[in-house]
Amino acid sequence: MRAIYRVATATFHEAWRRRFLNAILIFAVLIIGSSWSLAYLQPGAELKLLIDIGLGSTRFFGMLIAVFLGVRLISDEIEKRTIHTILTKPVTRAQFLLGKFFGSWATVMSNMLLMSLAFYVVFMIKAPGFLLKTGGTPGEGPGIATEFLYSNIAKALGLTLVEMTVVTALAVMASTLFSWIMAAIFSFFVYFVGQVANFFKSLANPEHGAGTLSQVIFRLLYGILPHFEVFDMREAILKGTYVGWETLGMHTGLGLLYTVVILGIAYLAFMNREV
Amino acid sequence: MEVEEGSIFGLVGPNGSGKTTTLKLLLGLIYPTQGSGKVFDFPLGSPEYKQRIGFLPEGPYFYDHLNAIELLQFYGGLFGLGGGKLEARIEELLRLVGMWDRREIRIRNYSRGMLQRIGVAQALINNPDMVFLDEPTAGLDPTAQIEMRDLMHQLRDQGKTVFLCSHLLKEMEPLCDAVVVLSRGVVRRQGRICDLLAVQSGRYQLRATGCANVSMQSLRDKALDLTVTGNEISLLVADQPQALVVAQEIADGGGTILEFGAQTRSLEDVFIEAVAAGGSD
Repeated sequence: MRAIYRVATATFHEAWRRRFLNAILIFAVLIIGSSWSLAYLQPGAELKLLIDIGLGSTRFFGMLIAVFLGVRLISDEIEKRTIHTILTKPVTRAQFLLGKFFGSWATVMSNMLLMSLAFYVVFMIKAPGFLLKTGGTPGEGPGIATEFLYSNIAKALGLTLVEMTVVTALAVMASTLFSWIMAAIFSFFVYFVGQVANFFKSLANPEHGAGTLSQVIFRLLYGILPHFEVFDMREAILKGTYVGWETLGMHTGLGLLYTVVILGIAYLAFMNREV
Repeated sequence: MEVEEGSIFGLVGPNGSGKTTTLKLLLGLIYPTQGSGKVFDFPLGSPEYKQRIGFLPEGPYFYDHLNAIELLQFYGGLFGLGGGKLEARIEELLRLVGMWDRREIRIRNYSRGMLQRIGVAQALINNPDMVFLDEPTAGLDPTAQIEMRDLMHQLRDQGKTVFLCSHLLKEMEPLCDAVVVLSRGVVRRQGRICDLLAVQSGRYQLRATGCANVSMQSLRDKALDLTVTGNEISLLVADQPQALVVAQEIADGGGTILEFGAQTRSLEDVFIEAVAAGGSD
């Protein structure tokens, strides 16, 4: 635990000094903070736009930070040979990998919390006004189902944190396998394809004209890709669907399972990698 | 290969001979595909012995946003060190490597020599029983090189084992107690340096200066080989009695004996011979 903690804190402190990531965070907070003004672009649907921009930006920029931070974690240590003086201390590869993961995870989470806070503040200030403007009152506005609105927003932000945990693990895994550019391409690919993983199920359906090979490929993709779409609650928010704690717990559990499996693969790759 | 505890051990070999691979195996950075090895009775790569070793890589790289103290706190933390004991150790090491006055400078602003110095400090943070040093004098100015050699002797005197990997044979020769010459992944020579450099011919070599009044012809008649370099002469004679006669003649002629002893080779000779033998395999 000691070694994991030490590597994690060093990773966390180093990550916060990366100007590129700081720039993404500042840009993201600016976008989220000004989302209320962009919402006026679509009169009558300001609240929908506010939620779309706010939640969408939090997820998108969170993903960018997680990927760009994670993909350099291991490969940079190997390229710069800083890993040599660490693995020759009483630190196992598993501890090193977990330390790097937790350090980057803590960085991503702190970035996410700042973005979520920015969004929540904007939402709390602007949402009542938007609801009144469109003739409704908080909880009963037209154009958007306002039932469970506030709790759903909080749950959506919570699930986004789980999603970013998976993305961080994915980027760290990619970093054990590839150079950082390849790792970034791989992570983005898996993330974006994972957003439509459910789609592969219908593509694999013979009734939709899928051949045998296509069925195998699409089923395989459906089976192995993380289903990132389960972490997107925007539809539930807009429809005012109640998202129960059971669903939330199940999706969180799925996210944690993805994280464990991905880190397991990362460990297997890193165990045999020459450093 | 075996390394005697409490000695300075040198690993030498041409490029591609397997020095780095050997070092990485011993340090647990890579794993053997076949064969085995032990460090302090623990199998290669085992975390147990890593508690007792230190490592200075060639051209060391560190987290460059840290300063010397933060870096040593990080490495000390990996050994479970902390509190006042670690602070005291950090100060002791920074003073030892001459970095105490520069402890607040960020590593990204270090010169090569400063990196090497802080590298030594991190290698010693856990007061290891064995230190692996890869090209430890590379990038150091002459004064710092002498300090580094002194430090290695100091470590040995404290009972620690120093495992040295270097291309600088002239530097290794007076420093090491034992060496291994690797070539093409095979140990070609190994042993105590005095044994490796000794020649069993019974011949003696002399070096003298100020021999203007000594008959060169007479010396040539007695020597197997005579070389004149500036004011110095070097002689190789058949045996010890003959060497004594030659030395007396030089002294009688007003010359000064600079060196007198059994014929030896340099580490360079041993290295070239060993590598050539490997090449003919």
